[in-house]
Amino acid sequence: MSLFDKFPAMERTDLRDLKKGIDSSFKEFSRSWGESIEAFFDPLFYFLVNFEKLLLATPWPIIIGIVAGLSYLGSRSWKLSAGAAISFLAIGYLGMWENTMSTVALISVATFICIAFGIPIGVAMSKSDRLQSFITPILDIMQTIPIFVYLLPVVMLLGIGKVPGLIAVCVYAMPPIVRLTNLGLRLVDKEILEAADAFGSNYRQRLFKVQLPLALPNIFAGVNQTIMMALAMVVIASMIGVKGLGVPVLQSIQNQYLALGMMNGLAIVALAIIFDRVSQKYGKRLQRHREGGNDV
Amino acid sequence: MKIKNLTGISIASAMTVLGSSAFADCGDITMADMNWPSATLMANVDKIILEAGYGCSIEMIVGATTTTFASMNEKGQPDVAAELWINAVREPLNAAMAEGRLHSAVNGPITDLGEGWWIPPFTAEKHPELKTVLDILDHPELFPDKEDPSKGAFIGCPAGWGCQLANINLFRAFEMEKKGWVLIDPGSQAGLDGSLIKANERGDNWFGYYWAPTSIIGKYGMKLVPFGVPFAGNENWDGCIAKAEQDCDDPKPSAWTVSEVHTVVTDRFINQAGVAMDYFAKRIIPGSVMGAMLVFMEEEQADGPDAAVEFMSLHEDLWMQWLPADVAAKVKASL
Repeated sequence: MSLFDKFPAMERTDLRDLKKGIDSSFKEFSRSWGESIEAFFDPLFYFLVNFEKLLLATPWPIIIGIVAGLSYLGSRSWKLSAGAAISFLAIGYLGMWENTMSTVALISVATFICIAFGIPIGVAMSKSDRLQSFITPILDIMQTIPIFVYLLPVVMLLGIGKVPGLIAVCVYAMPPIVRLTNLGLRLVDKEILEAADAFGSNYRQRLFKVQLPLALPNIFAGVNQTIMMALAMVVIASMIGVKGLGVPVLQSIQNQYLALGMMNGLAIVALAIIFDRVSQKYGKRLQRHREGGNDV
Repeated sequence: MKIKNLTGISIASAMTVLGSSAFADCGDITMADMNWPSATLMANVDKIILEAGYGCSIEMIVGATTTTFASMNEKGQPDVAAELWINAVREPLNAAMAEGRLHSAVNGPITDLGEGWWIPPFTAEKHPELKTVLDILDHPELFPDKEDPSKGAFIGCPAGWGCQLANINLFRAFEMEKKGWVLIDPGSQAGLDGSLIKANERGDNWFGYYWAPTSIIGKYGMKLVPFGVPFAGNENWDGCIAKAEQDCDDPKPSAWTVSEVHTVVTDRFINQAGVAMDYFAKRIIPGSVMGAMLVFMEEEQADGPDAAVEFMSLHEDLWMQWLPADVAAKVKASL
């Protein structure tokens, strides 16, 4: 009967030894491999450092010009481009310029990495059910595991700063683009694929000229979610020593500086909206082109 | 609405009366379960003793220093903060104590505690010439910053913590920027701990802010570095160093202020559970005992309640002295 009264849990001491064993083997691992892992990420680290320095060294009118220009190139909309310029002017006027540049540097690199790795993974997943059943639980872990669980190990391995911050951001922000690329490709009508085969298209033509264009709405929904989540992670990245808009937010949370928190929070929102609208408009233009029917 | 509340309260009080006839007046107490090990240990020890010995019914409220204090100050809840570090909240606390809303139950519930700037033991051994902070400041090249190796990295206090302002202003006071240092904001406790652990595990030099009693300091044998300058007075510290950067125009170099830690209780607690005030006044844990408990908590991965039970069974001779004989007997019986 006593078996049912209390869950037959592991002995307390065994459990403790297990936990201690895992901890000490991680420390052992970090001692023997930490330096080489750090060295592996060094190129990325120096790129991030120099990119941030470049953004900070560039005179602000040029940055605003580039932002407005890129917005226009992406969206072909004067309104959006003017809105982006005005947001950046407001950010600078309210004294958040340097933090915003640091955040832009980190987030643009993070988003780029997420998309550059996420789309190919999504494509591979859509081709193989076995791979899908393997990767899906990994994505679930990445999205749901509490961030604080892996912050400390990452810091113990890589130290505080940009690279661990980037990794934390990507762990959280990459799953949507992978999932939605996979979904979009799987939703492409089988008959269209048959037609493509019937016209004798090879694998490459089928993927790049039929499947990916038809999956674009889903893929761009994934890009949107990835950007939003990356920016939402700015504050978390600041918890491991990444400079940027997250630092004043952390400061304001603990000191009840309402205005400071609100201003920096809204600056993050402004960045998210600019990044997103430009990429979405760009995506729509890609699709309009396809709907015109002169490229497929 | 009002009637409903009243019946709720009367039912609750009826239940506590039934539950503990001897100290029915203690009733429901809320207690801060602060989010660092020594505080959660103290809070859980208090919980065991107040519940078993004084018949209180205790609810723990999780929080950090500033948030807990703000809540105590504005709402009178939680009733007890076992380990409140005063430096971060001195001015509003003094105001609240003058108005009689909050009271200090004991000054210094743990001995040998404090904040300051630390280096790992191997750094101290390898460079015996680094005797004070002033010596270290002349050698930024020993503590290179990863982002800009030409500068020395000083790991400050996480953004938003009370100590952040003091570290920023001392950084200015010692003219560390001119001497080739950068102030690194570790962002969180995970960031600060992680960087300290990483440096110790790899044998890298590390120079930064920390505080004792903590298991991490005990475990790695971190060395507290004397500042090499005297404490430059309360006016400089409270009126400048501890304030926001824009409110501190001319910070002077100074040793760290002596850390004052109190157990703080609300006025309501004194009215309701005044007998327990004698207990708090005597409840002083020696730094060495606390240090050992913290290493135990870390190594055994024990949480607050577990550690409190361990403390009660290990240090009976200590806590027996805090309590009148009849109360002590009751606590002992409950263990």
